[in-house]
Amino acid sequence: MSDREKFLEQKISYLEPEETELEGRGKELEINAPVTGAVTIPEAVVAGFGDGTVRFFRSEETPKIIDAHHGVVLCIATNGSEVFTGGDDGRFLQISPDGTITEIANFGTRWVDTVAATKDNMVCSSGKNAYLWSSGNTKEKILEHTSTIGGMAFDRNGKRLAVASYGGVTLWEQGNRRWKSSRLVWKGSHSKVSFSPDGKYIVTTMQESELHGWRIRDKVDLAMRGYPAKIKSFAWVGDIPHLATAGDHQAICWPFDGKDGPLGREPVCVADCGKKISTFIEPLTGEKAIFVGFNDGTVLLSEVDDRKNPFVVRNPKGYEISAISLSSDRSYILIGDLGGNILWSPLWAN
Amino acid sequence: MNNTSEQVPVTVLTGFLGAGKTTLLNRILTEQHGKRYAVIVNEFGEQGIDNDLVVDADEEVFEMNNGCICCTVRGDLIRILGGLMKRADKLDAIIVETTGLADPAPVAQTFFVDQDVSDKTKLDAIVTVADAVHLSNQLGEHHEAEEQIAFADIVLLNKIDLVDDNSIDNVKARIKKINPYAKIVKTNRCDIPLNEVLGLNAFSLDRVLEVEPDFLDSDHDHEHDDDVTSMSFVSETPLDMDKFQTWFGNLLQTHGQDILRSKGILSFEGKDDRYVFQGVHMLMDASPMGTWPEGKERNSRVVFIGRNLENMGLDEGFEGCKLN
Repeated sequence: MSDREKFLEQKISYLEPEETELEGRGKELEINAPVTGAVTIPEAVVAGFGDGTVRFFRSEETPKIIDAHHGVVLCIATNGSEVFTGGDDGRFLQISPDGTITEIANFGTRWVDTVAATKDNMVCSSGKNAYLWSSGNTKEKILEHTSTIGGMAFDRNGKRLAVASYGGVTLWEQGNRRWKSSRLVWKGSHSKVSFSPDGKYIVTTMQESELHGWRIRDKVDLAMRGYPAKIKSFAWVGDIPHLATAGDHQAICWPFDGKDGPLGREPVCVADCGKKISTFIEPLTGEKAIFVGFNDGTVLLSEVDDRKNPFVVRNPKGYEISAISLSSDRSYILIGDLGGNILWSPLWAN
Repeated sequence: MNNTSEQVPVTVLTGFLGAGKTTLLNRILTEQHGKRYAVIVNEFGEQGIDNDLVVDADEEVFEMNNGCICCTVRGDLIRILGGLMKRADKLDAIIVETTGLADPAPVAQTFFVDQDVSDKTKLDAIVTVADAVHLSNQLGEHHEAEEQIAFADIVLLNKIDLVDDNSIDNVKARIKKINPYAKIVKTNRCDIPLNEVLGLNAFSLDRVLEVEPDFLDSDHDHEHDDDVTSMSFVSETPLDMDKFQTWFGNLLQTHGQDILRSKGILSFEGKDDRYVFQGVHMLMDASPMGTWPEGKERNSRVVFIGRNLENMGLDEGFEGCKLN
């Protein structure tokens, strides 16, 4: 390193980053537990924490605290109106917008690792089994798998459930009388899973720092590789969607338009943040743009267009971004990290 | 990251069926130690007393998709350690119990392979509980028993009140032959202070510098091909760094499956620092560890624990790394 470079580096490290617009008009909260996830319901943004609490954030109000689990809120999902959580206390809970808790199931010392919900279905996983409650049935249905479930997702109309585990994805389809399964195979351990908005593709994140996808119609494999780190978050952006993914020094956005999706095509890379690794992606609803959170706490907002420059939404606080969520009317944003720091801010200037 | 708080130490508890692992676990869970532990068990079915946390797990061994033939990890550990690290309260230590027939390698490899696991936790030590009465027979009959001894940082030779001194000496010699680095402690009902099994820091590279192996005279007469043994090499002549890296890299690539553990302190020509490494199968952690102490002679020491070691050309290979 030359003397000039050394000097510049020193100078940079002394500079306090300027407060961002969102930091300026928002509220910063320090909660003594990592933020483990967040979802949006019409009335609030709801975040889960490592101390078992769930907090409801509503515009200017002080967040409402609900003591939900006795340990970590491991997973959180919504069916659009109610919130569902799973914890390391083995409980699967339904939490209403007014904060009422209903315990749906209790698995004791077995953790509830993943949850998913639609208007008519709610499902949680504990170990190798998924437990599915459908409206009209009081008794749950047990969906068995050969290894521990890493992630679950319904498609848009709630008729199919994808369950990721070791060796691929089990695709459950609701028939007239029962759920039937088929298997999408790919070697390795799969965790997060998602249907493309048009329901044609399924994508998973893997232990191996790569994504895997299948075109459901013909089970054609799509391998999306080249990441320096594990992919902890992805999201579909836009009507003819890109799949925006974390796990790199930027956000890697794979095109899913056209007949073959990303097959043989290059991704769009946006929101470059130097040596940092992206850990969370959240779309700016209604725009072809994403919030990208990084492992040092930086959050950038970028259009999915590599000719445009991103801008800084939040400065680094030293902890990995683990949640970003917009209120249903897009007026507020919640940003949370593993250090328990929350930024709750009006998204737009008055 | 600069403000990541300290990594939580993870102790792996292995041992053959009936050796006394549960006795030790019960002690960890019931003693007034004032610490907060999480214990990851297989179908233990009991609650922690004294503030401890018991987590049920299935041993799920995953093959990594990276072409490395012996690169297997414990998928359930990645998930559970990730969950434990999100707790609001800090844990003092995590103890992972493995089933009697488990190979310890996937557990150890998990700490090399998964970035989140290695960022937030560290492998502290592998503790093996052995039954003084039955170990000799078990070693002859089960690969897993040999592996558990081979990987151990400390062996609790349990139930010694049931055997005579002569048998104890024999079984100790047997253990030493497999693993000259393991510390052997004689116990009844695992009566050892917990601070002698937890918080050992055995996988840190500086510990490689501290532990002097206890080598016995080697005796290759009565071994089966698949017996686990150890071989060690010492050189006063400095090594050529390039030659060593080429040889060692190739060695792990081709024989990594048979080399269970390796450790070494290396003196390279033209380098002031001591280089230290330790590995599990093909995976390795290595780093310069400060300059050689003043007045102490520089020499390189390497030890391998594994199967078929005599067929790997270790002697010639190591010899070839010496400076001409």
